[in-house]
Amino acid sequence: MREYILKRVLISFAILFFVSILIFVLGRVLPGDPVQAALVASRMGPLSDEVIADVRAQFGLDRPLHIQYILWVSSFVQGDWGVSIASGERVLDMFMHRLPVTLELFFGSVIWAFIIGLPLGIVSALRRNSWLDVTVTTGAILGVSIPVFWEGIVMIYLFAVLTHIFPPSGYVPLSESVTGNLLSVAMPTFVMGTHGAGLFSRYVRSSLLEVLGQDFIRTAYAKGLPRKTVILTHAMKPAMIPVVTVVGLTWGYVVAGAFIVEYMFAIPGLGRMGVNAIFANDFPVIQATLVMVAVNILVVNLLVDLLYAYLDPRVRVQR
Amino acid sequence: MNGRTRDDAPRAHRSVLMETAMALVRHRVAFAGLVILLGLIVMAAFAPVLAPYDPNEQDLYQVLQGPSRQHLLGTDDVGRDLLSRVIYGSRVTLAMGILSTLFAAVIGILAGLVAGYKGGIWDAVIMRITDTFMCMPALVLALVIVAALGPGMKSVVISITVLAWTGFARITRGQVMIVRELPYVEAAHALGASGYRIMFRHLLPNVMAPLIVTATISVGMNIMLESAVSFLGIGVQQPTPSWGNELRIGYSYLEIVPLFSIAPGLMITLAVLAFNFLGDGLRDALDPRLRGEEKAGS
Repeated sequence: MREYILKRVLISFAILFFVSILIFVLGRVLPGDPVQAALVASRMGPLSDEVIADVRAQFGLDRPLHIQYILWVSSFVQGDWGVSIASGERVLDMFMHRLPVTLELFFGSVIWAFIIGLPLGIVSALRRNSWLDVTVTTGAILGVSIPVFWEGIVMIYLFAVLTHIFPPSGYVPLSESVTGNLLSVAMPTFVMGTHGAGLFSRYVRSSLLEVLGQDFIRTAYAKGLPRKTVILTHAMKPAMIPVVTVVGLTWGYVVAGAFIVEYMFAIPGLGRMGVNAIFANDFPVIQATLVMVAVNILVVNLLVDLLYAYLDPRVRVQR
Repeated sequence: MNGRTRDDAPRAHRSVLMETAMALVRHRVAFAGLVILLGLIVMAAFAPVLAPYDPNEQDLYQVLQGPSRQHLLGTDDVGRDLLSRVIYGSRVTLAMGILSTLFAAVIGILAGLVAGYKGGIWDAVIMRITDTFMCMPALVLALVIVAALGPGMKSVVISITVLAWTGFARITRGQVMIVRELPYVEAAHALGASGYRIMFRHLLPNVMAPLIVTATISVGMNIMLESAVSFLGIGVQQPTPSWGNELRIGYSYLEIVPLFSIAPGLMITLAVLAFNFLGDGLRDALDPRLRGEEKAGS
């Protein structure tokens, strides 16, 4: 197991290295010289080439590329993520400020996905090929196919424009009002959650079906255990292992969904920050967003892999 | 012997094709997908015939109208007929989804063939590159790439291609690694076939089935990605009608003319749904094990 962990961690670091290079290169390709942008933002008027060269040196932009890369990585690791060109705030502060909002959205959407996806997946596996199963599996494709932005628009129209049940957009912090907070995140988390529920119910179904076909389930029935016990204690546990992996692997989609959902519902989280940064060509913020999302996905994937290996010893020997 | 297999091959191939087609028709969900898709293709192909107005004709006296007899879906913020724009939008959206999938498939399949067949350092490098792309969120990366290249259809297709090839590469590689150990590939080796010939004549045809499924679903995903980028305003630019950018402008008038955003959004959903339904059906139809099972069940 220790060897396996070590190997997985090393691979993750290798991927992180590639990711950092990709992001660094993107930074050089993006239009808009950060120095020019910073100078324009500070409204210093027309500048001589000397001043520009000076500022470039200050940012380390006159050094060779590989040195720039090393400087960037080392300062990033030390928590110096640069300063936003648009607002002048420290990027790390901006990030920390918005993180709780996005986390709340995430947990909310996972709860929706569970509440909707898990029972539907179980029921459709147990009633295989029935009209219920067909409805659920078709509904699952529907849940995955509806773009979050359209589902969001329809929900805003139905529940905010027509009926005023929920606020159309905006975010009320938990510290201000608990009900206000819940009302403001209800629609965005639901929109993200239905997408997850679609994926979730499909995987629960196929995984449970596979387990139900195995010998030990027949044995459990044969020794006279009631159906409920067999399904809940014998079948569910092994069936959930691959589901956990899939949920981990689709984590990237959840993160991507947050960008659109936060933008649409005007929720001041990391996704909205990232989208606005792209609009404003605010590279330090874009860079930090990309790095943190990648690190996030890598860590989740790593944890899922390790959990999987821990639960299923066969995985450790493979590869 | 060689001659006989050549004679047999097309016949066997045809029957597989027939069986797949039959299985698709039997598969209700896939059939629904096929019907929606055909509808969209007809819409795109005959847009000039079907559209009641020129999609770019503005009528500033009739902006933001609700549905009426003259304008079945109403008009947009500069008085263009929404129905016509939605019909023409199918061209842009479908073309971009299909084109980017084609490019991505070619690049991904080539990379996957090389990684799976050659193994070693080729495999390691190609797989680490796909890992790199896979831990970046597609939408954000697409936004950054489009921002770097400048908004427009070409940039969107390029950015989606850059993101979507990794899926094809991984699946091709996985399949090739299974197939290349089979005796017939060994036989081809023994007969002195070149690596190029083995990859394209012997391996590729035998790993096509999952790739067709991937490609079908990928078109839907790419349409979704394209719409998302256009919805955020840096994809396809006005006046070119795409469902994503219609939705974007319509969204700001949601309270006055809801159809302005709801109609193009419905079209995006239908398109994505059609490809997902079809992909799902193809997955079952192309998997001989499942086919037998379904027969036994019904």
